[in-house]
Amino acid sequence: MLQKREKVLLLRTFQGRTLRIVREHYLRPSVPCNSPLCPQPATCRNDGKLLSSDVTHYMIPDWKVVQDYLEILEFPELKGIIFMQTACQTVQHQRGRRQYNKLRNLLRDARHDCILFANEFQQFCYLPRERGESMEKWQTRSIYNAAVWYYHHCQDRMPIVMVTEDEEAIQQYGSETEGVFVISFKVPASGVSSEKEREGDRQTLKQAPGSEPSAQSPVWGLNSGTVRYDLRQSQTLTRLSHPGAPAFSFLCEKSECARLYLRLERGIASLQSIGPGIYITIWQFSKTARTKNKTQNPLLHRPLFLELGAVYLLFVWCFSLTYLIPGAGLVDFFSLSFVQDFRVVVRIDSWESTSVYPNGHFVRVLGRIGDLEGEIATILVENSISVVPFSEAQMCEMPVNTPGNPWKVSPEEEQERQDLRETHLVFSIDPKGCEDVDDALSVRTLDNGHLELGVHIADVTHFVAPNSYIDIEARTRATTYYLADRRYDMLPSTLSADLCSLLGGVDRYAVSVMWELDKTSYEIKKVWYGRTIIRSAYKLFYEAAQELLDGNFNIVDDIPEFRDLDEKTRQARLEELAWAIGKLTDIARHVRAKRDGCGALELEGVEVRVQLDEKKNIHDLIPKQPLEVHETVAECMILANHWVAKKIWESFPHQALLRQHPPPHQEFFSELRECAKAKGFFIDTRSNKTLADSLDNANDPNDPIVNRLLRSMATQAMSNALYFSTGSCAEEEFHHYGLALDKYTHFTSPIRRYSDIIVHRLLMAAISKDKKMEMKDNLFSNKDLEELCRHINNRNRAAQHSQKQSTELFQCMYFKDKDPENEERCVSDGVIYSIRTNGVLLFIPRFGIKGAAYLKNKDGLVISCTPDGRSEWKPGSLQRFQNKITSTTTGGESVTFHLFDHVTVRISVQASRCHSDTIRLEIISNKPYMSPDTELFHQSSLLLKSDLVKEVTRSVEEAQLAQEVKVNVIQEDYQKYCQTKGRSLYMLLEEIRDLALLDVSNSYGM
Amino acid sequence: MAGLELLSDQGYRVDGRRAGELRKIQARMGVFAQADGSAYIEQGNTKALAVVYGPHEIRGSRARALPDRALVNCQYSSATFSTGERKRRPHGDRKSCEMGLQLRQTFEAAILTQLHPRSQIDIYVQVLQADGGTYAACVNAATLAVLDAGIPMRDFVCACSAGFVDSTALADLSHVEEAAGGPQLALALLPASGQLALLEMDARLHEDHLEQVLEAAARAARDVHTLLDRVVRQHVREASILLGD
Repeated sequence: MLQKREKVLLLRTFQGRTLRIVREHYLRPSVPCNSPLCPQPATCRNDGKLLSSDVTHYMIPDWKVVQDYLEILEFPELKGIIFMQTACQTVQHQRGRRQYNKLRNLLRDARHDCILFANEFQQFCYLPRERGESMEKWQTRSIYNAAVWYYHHCQDRMPIVMVTEDEEAIQQYGSETEGVFVISFKVPASGVSSEKEREGDRQTLKQAPGSEPSAQSPVWGLNSGTVRYDLRQSQTLTRLSHPGAPAFSFLCEKSECARLYLRLERGIASLQSIGPGIYITIWQFSKTARTKNKTQNPLLHRPLFLELGAVYLLFVWCFSLTYLIPGAGLVDFFSLSFVQDFRVVVRIDSWESTSVYPNGHFVRVLGRIGDLEGEIATILVENSISVVPFSEAQMCEMPVNTPGNPWKVSPEEEQERQDLRETHLVFSIDPKGCEDVDDALSVRTLDNGHLELGVHIADVTHFVAPNSYIDIEARTRATTYYLADRRYDMLPSTLSADLCSLLGGVDRYAVSVMWELDKTSYEIKKVWYGRTIIRSAYKLFYEAAQELLDGNFNIVDDIPEFRDLDEKTRQARLEELAWAIGKLTDIARHVRAKRDGCGALELEGVEVRVQLDEKKNIHDLIPKQPLEVHETVAECMILANHWVAKKIWESFPHQALLRQHPPPHQEFFSELRECAKAKGFFIDTRSNKTLADSLDNANDPNDPIVNRLLRSMATQAMSNALYFSTGSCAEEEFHHYGLALDKYTHFTSPIRRYSDIIVHRLLMAAISKDKKMEMKDNLFSNKDLEELCRHINNRNRAAQHSQKQSTELFQCMYFKDKDPENEERCVSDGVIYSIRTNGVLLFIPRFGIKGAAYLKNKDGLVISCTPDGRSEWKPGSLQRFQNKITSTTTGGESVTFHLFDHVTVRISVQASRCHSDTIRLEIISNKPYMSPDTELFHQSSLLLKSDLVKEVTRSVEEAQLAQEVKVNVIQEDYQKYCQTKGRSLYMLLEEIRDLALLDVSNSYGM
Repeated sequence: MAGLELLSDQGYRVDGRRAGELRKIQARMGVFAQADGSAYIEQGNTKALAVVYGPHEIRGSRARALPDRALVNCQYSSATFSTGERKRRPHGDRKSCEMGLQLRQTFEAAILTQLHPRSQIDIYVQVLQADGGTYAACVNAATLAVLDAGIPMRDFVCACSAGFVDSTALADLSHVEEAAGGPQLALALLPASGQLALLEMDARLHEDHLEQVLEAAARAARDVHTLLDRVVRQHVREASILLGD
């Protein structure tokens, strides 16, 4: 039975009049409490997720805590959190849609142990707001009242901790009810602790009410201090933007004593528009700022790299904190070493209009600057990639496959699936050492003379049920992330490397697409989709397959499957396999030719290769001549993807997941056309066919790199391919420009892409729809699918970014130890691929690096070349033309750089503490780089790539080992002499003084 | 402030109801002695008063008289104080006229007009406080008033509104939910036969969802019928006590 109450609100209209609004408010005797301790779960109707039963207490955050410190509450270590409806509504009203959605997702996420309690609709928890009571007070009172009710509802069996920032509330309610503790969020006991510390917390809890918390353990600022900048210098803001770095001062509100003199390179005035609630990755105490990426507005979507202002803010803010927390040991608490030399994540809570700097709090340490792990963690945070190890609950869903209890094909599945184990010769072709084999192929002649081509894809959806924990996790990750030296899997290795992987000689479930082709014309007669059981006969690698295709059977010794056979069977099997590969290649050639006829693009750009790569190895440099087998496999996959796309679109015209590649805008091609013209080629960009043809023609026999650069430029002019839901697009927009197909999707790699999992489910639903079987009602609606596509596209972009950044990171780490003056490897050949007003953009084929080289340095000197090619800096001027740039010295000498000229560059690393290090290129000669092993470059590049990663990894490990030893020693010392860690306040002040006195030009003269 | 969340993840609406729940309904019949029939209804904070005169001779021009059935004359007005901001005109504006017309259509379908040829039945409805679902409240009040007047009807006419938010149909919208601008539908039902006396919707709604919303509105209208039936029985019991039977 509902009870009716009325709420009276007074609102102010836009005209300034006061409007009285009466709203009804219905209360009910029971709302879901979602606690396992609930005495009457039936009346409470607890059907959603429940709190876990193994917590020591429930935690109820006050509205202010939810509003400001949501990401702390997001930690998976925190369990048993009850969000009160009152608090959630405050977030919605005060913080807006974005923050509220974050909270909603948190509540929805089955992995987080937190629930929402609708206290305002519960008749005993609801408290009407009293006359004259402030909103804040009422909210706190409501939350406390609900906490007390909840405590009694659980029959006083579970202590409840309400954490708040409101000192008054602690005073008022702290000792009112036994079992419900109200404590400050600043106390570490409130739940910032990890599991290990929990036992200690319980003790603190007991003494918490009433007594002043003794915060001896370091809490790194779960609080905000206020920093104001000294308004006496009103011109400061304008001066900030000046690169000359003027000094200015600001002071800390709470402690009049701290006045800092800082130097700034770039203004941060523009950053003031940031609202509260944005993550900021702080890139260390530093005085340099990045000048690139001016055009991007990073404020909205990505973690923002706050330039030094905020860095110093943190500095000062930590400082002011010491005054804010009573009882905290000054020396103990504030130790700069926590943040110095580390990359940290902080969160901005608010930005007052009177302050240049935002207020924020510290969230977590990523790692030491320059340290490989730290930098990788930073890259992950930058791209908002979260890869925690798979949880126990997720692993529990995995099927068992141990030597003692091996996984077997179940008889029920055997009935339902088509059995291809005996009838088909199935084999897979992958890179060497590949673990997750997504796809396998088969080809055979049918009795009626037709050919049958089969593509068999791992049946991941059999193991990953919709909305299971593992499914949710995979959906969140959306893709497997490949960094230069490691990868973060989308699915646990039990699946990705074992049960789903189509390894040789074992039975595996698969989803197959099989075509019946005409024997000679390879016309597609029939197509069959369905679930199958296969046993891959051979797990080949590309090189071996190519050898077999070329009729070279010597490679046989490298294929383990052939080893134990006698000569006769071996020969027969070999011939069978070679025939299959040959036939496949024939079919692929044919299909490819048909697609080429429609204008499919071969975009062999540097980035493109990585993007389209079906293999798991990273190389942004592909050997010049990819093997034909690569193309064969790729073509079969494209064919399968295309046919599956057709199928699911026909069955579900409004909710199929496809992939589109929109045609590019013509104006983006203008740069490409001009560059080609400089070399004497004509590029016709009117359609994908003409573009493909003219790119093929634009081949300089003397310089193969030109064609590659042109292709990569063409790629850059095009937009990215995207996933979309068919319900939200017109049919003519489905087209895939690059592949020249009208419908395309991703079907062939469900182990490493979530989109493929969705497509698999769609295909299964389509098959059961065809058989008039009842459909499982778990398909996404158009709206949900669209949202999911957006998420997957986002994650893919993040994966690409992180991959690129990690490659850059490794390049930097590689060159960091090298002395650019003497080391031979730091000097290399570069090609100019674009002209800018003060420099040129270079591509270095040997390392796959792209970067800018300046022709005019910071002192205003321009480059000039001596007759033998050596370059030097002289006063002069630059003149930019369409295809070339000329540098003229005052002495009258001039040197011209044309597009596609080869020059010699020196590679060095520009260290930065604020951002990641960058590669710096310097032209040292306008002649191509001559070295005895020029010819070897192209072959060695690939090798060098993996060597580079290996070398860097090794040196990092060594360094780490050395460091660990050192740290241990120091820690022992600390214990021995009972010294406080970190520095004293005195030292801190001294440091600030030093900073102020630092010579401006000194640190800048580089 | 972000847009209001009309239906939370836990399935609660802004005022604490679940999707299919009605607002609190209270009604009384026979509030005025001078009229032939009268009734007062509160649906949540929407309050309406209905008065019925007739059947009586045609007033004004005789030409309006219908030879085979009674003329149903409906007038709708809403008090100047009924909304958050004071209204200018209580009746006679376009909206009121349209509402009057809709009420007339509804009751022509329900009243057995052929029993009273060449006569007239007047139904006056006034909304005292508007908080969403005014049409439904008016119809429900008028039904009770017609019953009070003893005019023969086919059946009760029970009306209820329904809306559609986040692929869920919400019954009996309040003002906040109406103001959010989603599709809404008003339905008047003859519960015994399940026939529709009136169905009105002027927003866009996908055909696939229509059935769901209709179903929600019809179920809510049946619930309203249960309540109105109780009110009528209560009234009859009280009246018979007064008469001393």
